[in-house]
Amino acid sequence: MELTLSGDDLEKIHEGIRARYSKAAGSPEGMFRYPTGRKGLELLGYDPDFLRNLPDEVSASYCGVGNPFFLGPVEKGETVLDIGCGGGVDSLAAAFMTGSEGRVAGVDMTPEMLHRAERNRHLTGFGNVTFLEGSATDLPFPDRSFHVVLSNGVFNLIGDKKAALREVRRVLRPGGRLMIADQVLVGEAPSDKAGRISQWHH
Amino acid sequence: MIQASGFTHVELVSETGFDSSPVTKGVLIRAESPPVYSLRDKGSNMNPLDKYGDFFEGVYADGVLDRKTKHLIALGASLAAGCDP
Repeated sequence: MELTLSGDDLEKIHEGIRARYSKAAGSPEGMFRYPTGRKGLELLGYDPDFLRNLPDEVSASYCGVGNPFFLGPVEKGETVLDIGCGGGVDSLAAAFMTGSEGRVAGVDMTPEMLHRAERNRHLTGFGNVTFLEGSATDLPFPDRSFHVVLSNGVFNLIGDKKAALREVRRVLRPGGRLMIADQVLVGEAPSDKAGRISQWHH
Repeated sequence: MIQASGFTHVELVSETGFDSSPVTKGVLIRAESPPVYSLRDKGSNMNPLDKYGDFFEGVYADGVLDRKTKHLIALGASLAAGCDP
């Protein structure tokens, strides 16, 4: 069902998301119905070579809903954008794959998550990753910047999904790949708008 | 919605098994940006050029030969013909 959201509605949704994910930036443990941290990474089949050298403090911040790299590898030297990077574990996994010749950028709208991502980058020593504050509907990059755009558990949270997809199209190079792990609705959503907005990030 | 936004090869590949609520399912979705820049992106109504773009996309689409092989053949042909890079 198409839902029309006003600017105020979108702001309410964003506030709810920011509040929930600033808390998750501390530790996501117990906040989600699925396993998070190292257990989540192992169950989802992330590359054991990447996980082996990942400090526990870094893996603990993982709260993704799937493994986007299951959709295909990132090749050496490619440029990658991680939309809604959170604590940045997927960005670091992409940095591991693309190697020192490649570049990875992670954007997130929650400052606490970006601090966590920056700390995680420091703990892992990857020099080919940058974390930036930004919105999925207004990406801070020139046209055709990336070979791969990935996103893990984020698109379901975006109010204006069409605008976000337009932005992804803009920053992807011709033939570039979009790899999404996400949640889709399979049951009934609350029929009233207020209910939908309050349930947005649960 | 992803297809309507101009992506090609949109595919729901599998479920992840990680569901964040009783009414949602974790899924993996893949899509590609069209290989050739289309004038439609600029809101142009220059149909002949649009058609040319579509033709190009069709020629290079994965088929008996994959996209990479086709591009390499085209590159070889252009070098043999002495085209400027």
